Amino acid sequence: MSSEQDHLKDTDTEARFEFKKEERSAVKSGKGLTEEVVNLISDDKDEPDWMRERRLRALRQYHAMPLPTDWPGQPDLTELDIEEIVPYIRPDVDKREGVDDWDELPDDIKDTFEQLGIPEAERKALSGVGAQYESEVVYQNMQEQWEEKGVIFMNMDQAVKEHPEIVKEHFMTTCVPPSDNKFAALHGAVWSGGSFVYVPEDVTVEMPVQAYFRMNSEGMGQFEHTLIVAEPGSEVHYIEGCSAPKYGKHNLHSGGVEVFVKEGAHVQYSTVQNWSKNTYNLNTKRAIVEADGTMEWVSGSMGSKATMLYPCSILKGRGATDTHITIAFAGEGQNIDTGAKVYHNAPDTKSTIESKSISKDGGRTNYRGLVHIADGAENSSTAVECDALMFDNESTSDTMPYMEIEESKVDVAHEATVGKIGDEDIFYLQSRGLDDDDAKKMIVAGFIEPITEELPIEYAVELNRLIELEMEGSLG
Amino acid sequence: MSTQVHANLTPEQVRQISGDLEEPEWMLETRLEALEALEELDMPDVIRTPGRNWTNLHGLDFESLVDPLNAAEEKDQVGPDDVDVLPWAEALDEHEDLVREHFGSIVDPQENYLTALSTALFSTGTVIYVPEGVDAEDVTIRTEMHSRSLFNYTLVVTEDSSSVTILERQSTGTELDEEQYYSGIVEIAAGENSYVQYGSLQNLSEESYCFSAKRGETDTYATINWIEGNIGTKLTKTETSTLLSGDSSETQIVGAFFGHDDQHFDIDAKVWHRAEHTTADLVTRGVTDDTARSVYEGVQDVGRDAWDTSSYQRENTLMLSDESEADASPKLIINNHDTEASHSATVGQIDAEDLLYMTSRGVSPRLARNMLVEGFFVPVLEEVAVDELREDLEDLIQARLE
Repeated sequence: MSSEQDHLKDTDTEARFEFKKEERSAVKSGKGLTEEVVNLISDDKDEPDWMRERRLRALRQYHAMPLPTDWPGQPDLTELDIEEIVPYIRPDVDKREGVDDWDELPDDIKDTFEQLGIPEAERKALSGVGAQYESEVVYQNMQEQWEEKGVIFMNMDQAVKEHPEIVKEHFMTTCVPPSDNKFAALHGAVWSGGSFVYVPEDVTVEMPVQAYFRMNSEGMGQFEHTLIVAEPGSEVHYIEGCSAPKYGKHNLHSGGVEVFVKEGAHVQYSTVQNWSKNTYNLNTKRAIVEADGTMEWVSGSMGSKATMLYPCSILKGRGATDTHITIAFAGEGQNIDTGAKVYHNAPDTKSTIESKSISKDGGRTNYRGLVHIADGAENSSTAVECDALMFDNESTSDTMPYMEIEESKVDVAHEATVGKIGDEDIFYLQSRGLDDDDAKKMIVAGFIEPITEELPIEYAVELNRLIELEMEGSLG
Repeated sequence: MSTQVHANLTPEQVRQISGDLEEPEWMLETRLEALEALEELDMPDVIRTPGRNWTNLHGLDFESLVDPLNAAEEKDQVGPDDVDVLPWAEALDEHEDLVREHFGSIVDPQENYLTALSTALFSTGTVIYVPEGVDAEDVTIRTEMHSRSLFNYTLVVTEDSSSVTILERQSTGTELDEEQYYSGIVEIAAGENSYVQYGSLQNLSEESYCFSAKRGETDTYATINWIEGNIGTKLTKTETSTLLSGDSSETQIVGAFFGHDDQHFDIDAKVWHRAEHTTADLVTRGVTDDTARSVYEGVQDVGRDAWDTSSYQRENTLMLSDESEADASPKLIINNHDTEASHSATVGQIDAEDLLYMTSRGVSPRLARNMLVEGFFVPVLEEVAVDELREDLEDLIQARLE
């Protein structure tokens, strides 16, 4: 094992995520969702009128749309009182656009990210890092070598001002319009922070870029927006991580992710989500993939009270490819409702979905997926595989795939299995000297390996570590 | 939101139907309550994804489809001597207590709008009673529909350690100029260690609509095996399901459908594991041609107390034309971890290599295609343990290919 792995393995993960800092806010909106709050955000950011207009329109759509309530087996959202959520907190840092040196951050914020291991990871393995604290990005850096090639990695608020033409065209227009669902509309109204990634034609960003989102205040909502535009033939791997300490009140995370994969481009989007167990995690993530483009979603959903998230790829051009790899782990009191959506809208498109879930101590996991093959999407193929592992009889695991096939020249396959940890497997490992807990950990590690091997080593180690902690029941 | 069909349905009509069958007061009450409930009830659940109902039952004009007092049919209800196979009126006469105990106990008359409509208005029915220890084969129910609408009800009760094989066929005798509506409810109460095989073949005219709910409940060690063939109608909404209530009970649901022209099949196969050591096996294969559309929903629901469950499901759809559509949603709902469950579903077209292989050996493309379609159904037909039903199904598939 490398020293990096040792370092990460030895880090006390629980302490890393669960610490709290004093709230620090320069501007804090009131609770609830009104035009005043939206205007306050827009004013505070000194936004152009077109963005303010988009926010206000999204707010109207938000109020007009119902909450999802009657999906079969969906998480209960009745305890979520959006009107009680504080949607905007700007931390009181000196530089609005974020600094590019960790040392310029106030000590407590710097500490926060030090404890989370972000600067360490940046030095070792990343092309660039953005770090968001509450509603704003406080740190942003991109290595020079990529900047010279025209790669842009900046926070979204800044991008609105510096690259209005690209943002205007792509921001919540064709990919995730606010009308898509209530939380997309909410996001459109109060979004703040997030990342803007632009990769010029034929540029390959060899090391991942990373954004880390941290919520520190009680009862807040975080609504970062991520917009990735990968021009033809380019390649980039974007990683996001997120966490928040646990408070008595509910927090809401409702991010929006839009990815544009142009012809022949390749984007990987990896998430390790470890929100605290009082956070509702209700996101909309979507990619539009042009001809011969490839979109890869890799997600680990560990935290949150309830998650509803179904990353979606729209395979728009001939030969576009999608891969979804997801893992969900639900412990006590958690309801992780996650899956994948793929629209095959062109011929020769291909998708594979691999989903693994683990439920334990009364946790509830659900795979909810939709594969749609449009009329005319000839020679499309999709393979969906879902495996669920259940630890005990208080837990629940559901699989709810939907397949809508309008084209005959296709190859569609779905498979799912559910099972408990095999007594024989445990017995085998015990007979080789492992105790019961270690045997279970080893079986789980093997179960999720297809996911972890897709992640950069830091994330893979971290995911493993988080799962171990979950299994010990030591994460709050 | 229910369709307001009851505007032209009256308690008097229900009284007349019940009176013609010389039903006891409790039965009339059940019917009148179902009629009254129509206003409150919704259509049966159909699969929805955002912005889309996969089957539109609200689009049907029940007000004009339902003609309660003019039901006409021809029916065979035959079985061996040691089994009671009785028309509804006779069954009430001979086995009133039995009927009262089981009627509506498995399919709630007020479960949804269409079950309530069926309960209020059914004018024909069969009760099959298999006494303890009797092994009966070949109970046959043949219903030929001659009227605008027909509501049919079937109750099967098997006592301990008995067995029975039942074949039910629905077809249209008189094709009217207008659209027709057939509704059938089947309830099976399988007693301890009894074995029920219920085969059904729906071959109604393609100008008709069909709603059917077939549901069985098992006692300890009991088995209910369903065979479900769907060939006819313009639109069919059907659910075949088993509630595994007894320890070590089993069920199998074998389905086959073949849609062409603009037929629409909405087919559900569901199993609820509610006891220990229960086993379920769901196998469905279907073909869609022309602009036909199939919607398949398979549910394996394992309850918290269903220890040591085994549950398997396979669904395969073959699409013969670009204009046809196939939707599938095989769902696993697992609340007990001591479960071995899996499901798989595929949708695809005829394998081009197979076709090439056959045509290269001199088989005409048309014949090759037909042979491959017939071959596609083989794994399901093999599961059909009743020779007569299997042969009928094969004939109907062949007829459709010609």
